[in-house]
Amino acid sequence: MRQTQVAHRSGLRDEQQRLYAPCRARCPVHIDVPGYLAAIGEGRFTDALEIVLERNPLPSVCGRVCLHPCEDGCRRCLLDDPIAIAQLKRAAADFGVYPRPEHPRLRPEKIAIVGSGPTGLTAAHDLANRGFQVTLYEEKPLLGGTMRYGIPNYRLPDYALDRDIDYILSAGIAVNTGIRVGRDVMLDELAASHRAVVITAGLQGSRALPIPGVDSPRVLTALPFLEASSRGEDVDLGNRVVVVGGGNVAMDVARTARRQGASDVHVVCLESSDEIPASPQEIHDADIEGITLHYSWGPRSISHEAGTCALNTVRCTSVFNAEKRFAPSFDESVAECFEADTIIFAIGQSADVGDLGIALTSRGAPQIDPLTLKTSIGNVYAAGDVVSGPTKIIDAIAAGHRVAATAYRDITCDTEPLRLLDEEIDALGEVPDTMANKLETRRRIQMEHLEFFDAVKTFDEIEGGYTEYEAAREAQRCLSCTTGARLTREKCSLCLTCIRVCPHGAPILSTDGYVYFDAAACNACGACQSQCPSQAIVLEGHSEQEMSRRVERQLWAAEMDTTLMFACSSTPIVPNLGGTPPRIITVTCLLRVSERTVLEALQNGATRVVFAGCVESTCRFLHARELVRQRSGHIEVLLSRIGMTNAFDFVEHKADDLDWHLR
Amino acid sequence: MIVVRQKPVDEICAFVTRHRRVLLVGCNTCAAVALAGGEKEVDLMAELLRLATSRKASFVEFSGTVLTRQCEPEFLEQLDSEGYDAILSMACGAGVALLASSVDVPVYPALDTLFIGAAQGLASWEAECSACGQCVLGRTAGICPITRCAKGILNGPCGGVSDGRCELGDRDCAWVLIFQRLEKFGRSKEFLEIAEPQDHSLRTRLVTWDAHEDGIR
Repeated sequence: MRQTQVAHRSGLRDEQQRLYAPCRARCPVHIDVPGYLAAIGEGRFTDALEIVLERNPLPSVCGRVCLHPCEDGCRRCLLDDPIAIAQLKRAAADFGVYPRPEHPRLRPEKIAIVGSGPTGLTAAHDLANRGFQVTLYEEKPLLGGTMRYGIPNYRLPDYALDRDIDYILSAGIAVNTGIRVGRDVMLDELAASHRAVVITAGLQGSRALPIPGVDSPRVLTALPFLEASSRGEDVDLGNRVVVVGGGNVAMDVARTARRQGASDVHVVCLESSDEIPASPQEIHDADIEGITLHYSWGPRSISHEAGTCALNTVRCTSVFNAEKRFAPSFDESVAECFEADTIIFAIGQSADVGDLGIALTSRGAPQIDPLTLKTSIGNVYAAGDVVSGPTKIIDAIAAGHRVAATAYRDITCDTEPLRLLDEEIDALGEVPDTMANKLETRRRIQMEHLEFFDAVKTFDEIEGGYTEYEAAREAQRCLSCTTGARLTREKCSLCLTCIRVCPHGAPILSTDGYVYFDAAACNACGACQSQCPSQAIVLEGHSEQEMSRRVERQLWAAEMDTTLMFACSSTPIVPNLGGTPPRIITVTCLLRVSERTVLEALQNGATRVVFAGCVESTCRFLHARELVRQRSGHIEVLLSRIGMTNAFDFVEHKADDLDWHLR
Repeated sequence: MIVVRQKPVDEICAFVTRHRRVLLVGCNTCAAVALAGGEKEVDLMAELLRLATSRKASFVEFSGTVLTRQCEPEFLEQLDSEGYDAILSMACGAGVALLASSVDVPVYPALDTLFIGAAQGLASWEAECSACGQCVLGRTAGICPITRCAKGILNGPCGGVSDGRCELGDRDCAWVLIFQRLEKFGRSKEFLEIAEPQDHSLRTRLVTWDAHEDGIR
């Protein structure tokens, strides 16, 4: 007899049904990750793109270069590999169609945004979508800020960035490029002529260390070098280049130097290999491109000889003091000299907003009130890296949303957008063992990429992106956290069918006589929903109404002989039925196609309905296979009773090796 | 609970095709739990009947609704059957009967009422009780011979048992099961006691029961 459990397991509460999946909770802008992965899994890339765009107007960019904090939280991490959440965002942007803008009623207020990096673009997009007349001011000839001039083209090519920018500008944003606020136009003029001004200038100043010999033409700083490279200029570096710094920018600089013709590139950093701030992926990529890392060396001086120079360093014994503050200490007796043709400093960027005429902090950043985000001028806001120092792109996007919501509140007194940003978020816990034991190992699908010996010759994009098929397969690895079953207790007839069909024990009969769902144990297979006699269970992201709409769209102008095929998204090959090609609806699992949906399709013009099932090796929900077979049998019986014997068919693959190349 | 099963749809079709607007009424208690008369089945039946009737070029309109229990007048008061010229009840016989007595249009059953039974697992039930009105389970170790024995005899087994199976071949002999369970609890002596015949009038004549008349409440 099945042992039922008391309803106090792993935070089992009603409000748990409003939990976020860990990926979504960790994303600074809380993109509905399970939602867009489900759409990609069904091959609906445009739907996926729209879901991403609700929270992030830069999917093409983030799909390539986001540092994906979401993936660290993925509940699949403990089973095998996290889902390639960021790269699938790229697939959504690659294969989906960007929606047309919905022009809201235009408001009279004008807003100026200074700087067109991720924060500025996001804020401009948000405000334009709320009806404001937004103008972007950008010093450089093209929009994008660091994304265009800082991130090298082999990681983020211009076409990918332009795709997002075109979408953002389609909201109706005026653009003034080549204008530096503080030089070509004064900030107080802007503040006077606009209802609000938002400074999102980012970090434009590149620093070098104040050590002897640094003022040499053989010594460069990171940002001007990266900018020149991204413009396609040839920079004469010589053969041997030493990059100073341990962050991701240092890795970008080193790899860019490699592509600028330097064959011998070294990175010298203060930190040890455990402390280095660059992401492991970046370090790995630099390593395979033949870049040597030298840990724990502190630069002391630069000496020059005919045409070459040398970086003189001493051993750094520790970078941080007991209070975890940056306070390096050195052992002067251990010294090392790195000879180089060119030395490039990539030790951090700083704000360059001195000419704006607003109050600055000691670091040179605009001084703002943390609650109102206002600077010393009343209607001038500042946000993004210029205020916070270097962050991830996705953090900068979050800052853009916040400053837009703040300005919106100040102008309209509507606090709703800001309240939504401040909503508390709870993340779903780990996969319970009972569930983990029943899940199959599915390793992450690796993307096609240029081999390093080819990659270092050009600035061509290294990662080739997923194909549509690979993207769908990868997305299907998702455990669909928090998108599973929800019970409407008023409708529940307590038949306990859900408890009997769930393989993971997600529905629980509590001692108070009710059924509860443990969201942590649900992977949204839909078995309970498909069997519930009272229709008291719904799956998030799936509804009978939506399925009816999809059927209706497919059967629009159906011909005399129209076959409608429901294909399981895990089907490696859509079966060839002969005759006119069928109209196909791809579904996460055939269990989501109810008997009623099939009958409705036949009623609405389909001559025949076919279920195309998956094979066992690709099946996401093995326990659902028997239920699908039962359902098919039931449909056949029902139809034969009303004299429609050939109106339904269930095609199941027998061969199991169809998908071998992805396993 | 009362275990029910859907009638073949051609039988139901024969009822409803002579009408114009038919209301399907589900029952969210036993019939839903028996996976035969809940909201899902009501929706499915309506769709099936639409398909069946439209293929025969007859135009019948079907709508569906679900009551918590069809065997209670108060729940039936919630039913709005205005404008329908027939009702298809997806409840047990009791629900159909009470519904039929409370409306002025024909009420047809969509289900067959099978037995009083217990769930064995997913979509599977076993008959446990025949509502004889004189429960004998106390002396038969909780196994009902009237329901489980093909002959319904009170003193068994008969001569048709072999290797513990009934001669019908579809079931274990109820009396062998009773003996085994009595023996397990050291009560095998009770097996030899002869049971008096039941009062079958309780089955045929007991058409109403009022707790107040009996003085129980």
